[in-house]
Amino acid sequence: MTNSKHWFAQRYLLGQLIKRDVLLRYRGAMFGVAWVFINPLIMLCIYAYVFGHIFQARWPQQGNGAPFWLVLYSGLIAFNIFSDTVSRAPTAVKNYPNFVKKIIFPVEILPLVPLGAAIVHGVFNILILLGALAWTGLLNSHVALYPIMLAPIVLFALGISWFLAAWGVFIKDMSQIVPPFVQMAMFLSPVLYPASAVPEAIRAFYSYNPLGAVIEACRAAALGQSINWSSWSGALVLSIIITGLGLAFFRHNREEFADAL
Amino acid sequence: MPFDDPAISVRNLTKTYRLFGHAGDRVKQFLTFGVKRFHREFTALKDLSFDINKGEAVGIIGRNGSGKSTLLQLICGILKPTSGTVQTHRRISALLELGAGFNPEFTGRENVYFQGALMGFTRIDMEARFDDIAAFAEIGEFIDQPVRTYSSGMFVRLAFAAMIHADADILVIDEALAVGDEAFQRKCFSKLLDYLDGNEKILLFVSHNIRQVERICSRAIWLEDGRVVQQGPAREICAAYQDRIHQQVQDTHERSKLRPTFVDSGEVDVIRLQLFKGADEEPVDEIEIHTAVKVVIDFRCHSRLIAPDIIVGFHTTDSVFIAAASTAILPMQPDFPAGDHRVEVRVADLILLPGVYQMRLGFLDRHLRTMWSGHKLSTFRVTAPARSDVIRLPPGLVDMQFEWVFALPEGKQ
Repeated sequence: MTNSKHWFAQRYLLGQLIKRDVLLRYRGAMFGVAWVFINPLIMLCIYAYVFGHIFQARWPQQGNGAPFWLVLYSGLIAFNIFSDTVSRAPTAVKNYPNFVKKIIFPVEILPLVPLGAAIVHGVFNILILLGALAWTGLLNSHVALYPIMLAPIVLFALGISWFLAAWGVFIKDMSQIVPPFVQMAMFLSPVLYPASAVPEAIRAFYSYNPLGAVIEACRAAALGQSINWSSWSGALVLSIIITGLGLAFFRHNREEFADAL
Repeated sequence: MPFDDPAISVRNLTKTYRLFGHAGDRVKQFLTFGVKRFHREFTALKDLSFDINKGEAVGIIGRNGSGKSTLLQLICGILKPTSGTVQTHRRISALLELGAGFNPEFTGRENVYFQGALMGFTRIDMEARFDDIAAFAEIGEFIDQPVRTYSSGMFVRLAFAAMIHADADILVIDEALAVGDEAFQRKCFSKLLDYLDGNEKILLFVSHNIRQVERICSRAIWLEDGRVVQQGPAREICAAYQDRIHQQVQDTHERSKLRPTFVDSGEVDVIRLQLFKGADEEPVDEIEIHTAVKVVIDFRCHSRLIAPDIIVGFHTTDSVFIAAASTAILPMQPDFPAGDHRVEVRVADLILLPGVYQMRLGFLDRHLRTMWSGHKLSTFRVTAPARSDVIRLPPGLVDMQFEWVFALPEGKQ
């Protein structure tokens, strides 16, 4: 009991779990952990080719002449942290029945594992972004804010994960239900277009939900534009509330996990 | 120190499981805010109270389903009690399943470090212990191979080594020592005794092996149907428990053991000889002619039977033998190791004519010496088909299939 109250104290254990999670994905692969770099590079090349050459896409109010793929990539990194986490959340607890039933373990930290792994991948994405910015000559001091801008989306993903992980234990269908919704979130979020392109009537929804606000803020930070702090802090507050609710929900259901698994 | 708090104190502990028949029922229950009940309840533990003090090794015994594992899970805090409390004042290391935290893709070394992390040790703590663990596990070079390449013995050795070196105050072991070879088991036992020796550790030990419990534990708690039947010194409780088990076995034995009428060498006990209709679950004592039946023999042998002849036959109540099936006609007669067995003889079409019949049964060893033989064993009645007005049954014992052919004498057309 006392263990579960201080899961922050379990950070070494959490670190080990995340490390195992990331390593396990690449274990035995020929390029090994190099895939952490190769994957986002391939993705970046595809975006550069498809949007830069085929679509010749231009951002409507594109100030400083950054290529479209770079604009896209700077927002996509934030969205990927969310989507990687949330799509794996339903199985975050379900896949570790031994941890729930056989050992004394702070189960609350299990949903933090996909999040941690997503952040690790996000860090490599950001390194590539920095490289790309430097290469295109757009590197600016604003970029230092980029990791901080991610805070609401990380909390939001975590809150949602706690909900989904708890449900995932009881309802096997969750791992089927979630991915299409994540896909939908991708198209509804201002990843492929700026929030300013949406009709005025629903603009507020875009500026204050954690996904929209963070993607916009991240893009602004990466490209050295001014950040909309009011919508960002609104999103932060909302995310903190959702995280708290998610944890409460998870804890409320936690005692039934062992029975259901 | 009589004024010390007990290290584990269990008060009025009750655990009720909610059993949902279908995954969707849980959702329904949730959506109706628990107003409507979609589940059944099963009480695994009822109002348990006891204390365990430092330095005690407590065995928990009882038959399958008596609530032993649930109790351990509750003490470990893995399950939450439905009512009552469990208080533990010290650090618990639970081994409810050996190697529960191991991931087969990682090496033994990585898994040991991870197991350490699960038990709250940092890398530095583990480095100090690692050599001891590896030495105890005796798996040599394999320590740097993925665990999936291990034999089950190696896996168990490493898992036990990692657990016993965790140096917990309360060690919980659930059936974990039933595995591994004799030599390693002995090593584990002496290690467990070392662990208990002198210092103020606690061991909670669940095993079906009563001898193990007697040997290691100072105290035992005997559970049955979620209640404490008796608790006290391990030797006394184990003896009482064994008496009870023996009595129960004896009782079922007495009630159902068939009495052979001819020979009983004592090597085979026939428990039941039953007749079933088709694939039915329940035995019958009345059956319609021309149905598929099977005769099921439940028997127990006390030593290995090598290629015995088993003979099942039908006879009338006045001992007219009608038909018999024997394993002697099989190209390969099976052996039966000591223990309980069930053998079925299937009859595609029961051609006995309506009346009352009995069965006989015999066991012969491979030298055709009779080990068990009896008749007038199970009595059953064969009935006429429901539409017997249509088919007139002939007198006699069996409804043999005849065919009439009417041909004229040769040459006369």
